[in-house]
Amino acid sequence: MSMDFGSFLIQLLSGLSRGMMLFLLSAGLSLIFGVMNILNFAHATLWLLGGYITFSLYTALATQFEPSLLLLVPAVLGSTAILFVVGWLLERFLIRRMYGRELPEQLLLTFALILIIGDLIKMIWGVQNRRIVLPIEAWPVFDSFINPYLFVIIGSGAVVATFLWWFLARTRIGKIVRAAVYSRDMVSALGIRIPTIYAMVFALGVAIAGFSAGVFLPIIPIGLGLDMDLIIQCFAVVVIGGFGSIAGTLVASLLVGIVYSFSVLIWPDGALAVIFVILVAVLIWRPYGLFGTEMRS
Amino acid sequence: MSDHVKSMLAGIDRRQFVVATLASGAVAVRPRLGFAQGAEPYRIGVLLPSTGTGANYSERPIKGLPLVAAEINQRGGFLGKHPIELIFRDDQTKPDVGAREARSMILNDKVKTIIGSWSSAVAMAVQEIVHEYKVLLLAATSNSSKIVNENYTPYAFLLGPNSQMQSSATVVAVARMIKEKGWKNYVTIGLDYEWGRDAQKVFVSELGQVSPETRLMREFWAKLGETDFTSYITAIMAMKPDFVFGAIAGKDNETFLQQAKPAGFFQRVAYPGVFLPVTELMQQRKTLPRGIIGLGRAPFFALMEYPLTRKYIALYQAKFGKDDWPDDFACMYFDSLYALEQIVTRTGSIETEAVRKAMTGATIETCRGNLAFRDCNNQLDCPSYLGAVVDTPDYPFPIFDPKSLIVVQGRDCWTPKTCDEVRKIQKPRA
Repeated sequence: MSMDFGSFLIQLLSGLSRGMMLFLLSAGLSLIFGVMNILNFAHATLWLLGGYITFSLYTALATQFEPSLLLLVPAVLGSTAILFVVGWLLERFLIRRMYGRELPEQLLLTFALILIIGDLIKMIWGVQNRRIVLPIEAWPVFDSFINPYLFVIIGSGAVVATFLWWFLARTRIGKIVRAAVYSRDMVSALGIRIPTIYAMVFALGVAIAGFSAGVFLPIIPIGLGLDMDLIIQCFAVVVIGGFGSIAGTLVASLLVGIVYSFSVLIWPDGALAVIFVILVAVLIWRPYGLFGTEMRS
Repeated sequence: MSDHVKSMLAGIDRRQFVVATLASGAVAVRPRLGFAQGAEPYRIGVLLPSTGTGANYSERPIKGLPLVAAEINQRGGFLGKHPIELIFRDDQTKPDVGAREARSMILNDKVKTIIGSWSSAVAMAVQEIVHEYKVLLLAATSNSSKIVNENYTPYAFLLGPNSQMQSSATVVAVARMIKEKGWKNYVTIGLDYEWGRDAQKVFVSELGQVSPETRLMREFWAKLGETDFTSYITAIMAMKPDFVFGAIAGKDNETFLQQAKPAGFFQRVAYPGVFLPVTELMQQRKTLPRGIIGLGRAPFFALMEYPLTRKYIALYQAKFGKDDWPDDFACMYFDSLYALEQIVTRTGSIETEAVRKAMTGATIETCRGNLAFRDCNNQLDCPSYLGAVVDTPDYPFPIFDPKSLIVVQGRDCWTPKTCDEVRKIQKPRA
């Protein structure tokens, strides 16, 4: 089909936004697996929990102040902090017992977490969908309109990507984390407390999930079962990018988001199939993902 | 009440609701204790999702059904001597889970009737089970036309307008607008599963007959449970159609509307016939674009002339307060239970075969007036309601404009038209 520049740009932005959503969802999952070799099947459920907590915090704030995008900021940061603590406690009391265990055992434990957290959400928030209503008005661009909130999502993804790069590449703790990926024993021999590092990484991964859930709330109503829809997409992105590679997760997310967006426009019937063709191609060509390493696998 | 039922009910809403529903559930089962020994209870399985895409539409039926059961039980139950026992199960909006739970309720709990579910795919899986065990299925929400046509079983009854009836009703409204506004082309967006495909197919086919010059530019299919419709929204806007037909329901409908409005979708294209049950009108009261043409199955505000509607509202609000209202789904589930009571009373028996035969082709009183089941496929001759979304001083949420309300009766848009044609497509069953 013929496409004018404006439509092309808007479609590109929607693809970028979808890609950043996937990155925000998957970054924590990839980080945790890359450092700790733990496949956290409950990652999307913790994301969902973060969404509900953000909803409650925002609702509480909205009773005192005028609802606005600015009010969302403390709610999201509060939820991120709470999820950090939740992640820390989970690692301390549950996940720590899984180190060195087989993958099926990890999956069983984290699947149990999905059920437990799901029931907890039901008891506290019920089954009704929850969302945050912000007075967002469409921006007129190129003889069409665009949702300005897309820029918030793209910006949030960029901030998290930059933060993770800075943390892993520029800080001492980040360098220790990277070293632990390759030689846990050597890092331990240097007198560094590996359990503390692992607890922090797990908590950070979960906190990123909490952050992203809050960012999505004004455009995605959350409800039970949503986590199961999302976890498959997370795994697809992480497999394409390479388990444990944050850069790979970012590139794969953007690739999937943009390809999907243009596939919807050009060949809507095959949009989903295209993503899985990419996934299959990557698995055949580079089984360890675009940015994964054979050493890590 | 079993722990399983308590667990499901406990999950439906906030703590306040947990207390309220458990109390009403207790009322529903209480009469069993007070009856003479030997009075057989009438057990009804309620299959609804409390997780998944359809969970949002389950809340009010699950909250309200125990109230209706309690009201009937206060009169002694069915025939004044068979108290109703409701057994709730969560099908998770998954056909395999729905079939498993249905079988369990039939074999372990000895239910005589199952009411449910939200998903047509679940209902069609359950149809096989109820046919095998000769148990009644009252499908109050799931509405693929296949339930009463291709996948027909004499044990299943459909109490809402099926997907073909809804799409045909939308065609009536759209055909009017095509004439008024000079629309020439359109696109469709649907959920890529049984109901979405069925509804889209009928709409395209019937609009092609009514308005052959109107061109379908493209079909978009989103997966069930889609979380990001942005790419679809921008792609549709890039195509610049005059209008869009949507076959999206449940949580996905809420997600689509939430993402469409700030994207300027409604400023760019018309979106007539979007499914807007009272649930959505209440939940999206602040954000729903005014003026769009919505479609409902049993919107109480358009049915206040009927005694049963007023009774449902009184019953429901007595328990849950004046700020909450029974939505389309609650009304249709309540209709299911009262329909069963009416038929049992007429038959004078709770035996399934007798009830089934009496219900086939019967006229029942509902919240939508007196309606008859089509005797060749058990489809209730119920209307679809279309109207422009407007604010009103009467309710704290928008409703369909009474001045522009279009009511399309089921029999006016039967597909297939005749019972002979219906029987030809019904699969033979043992």
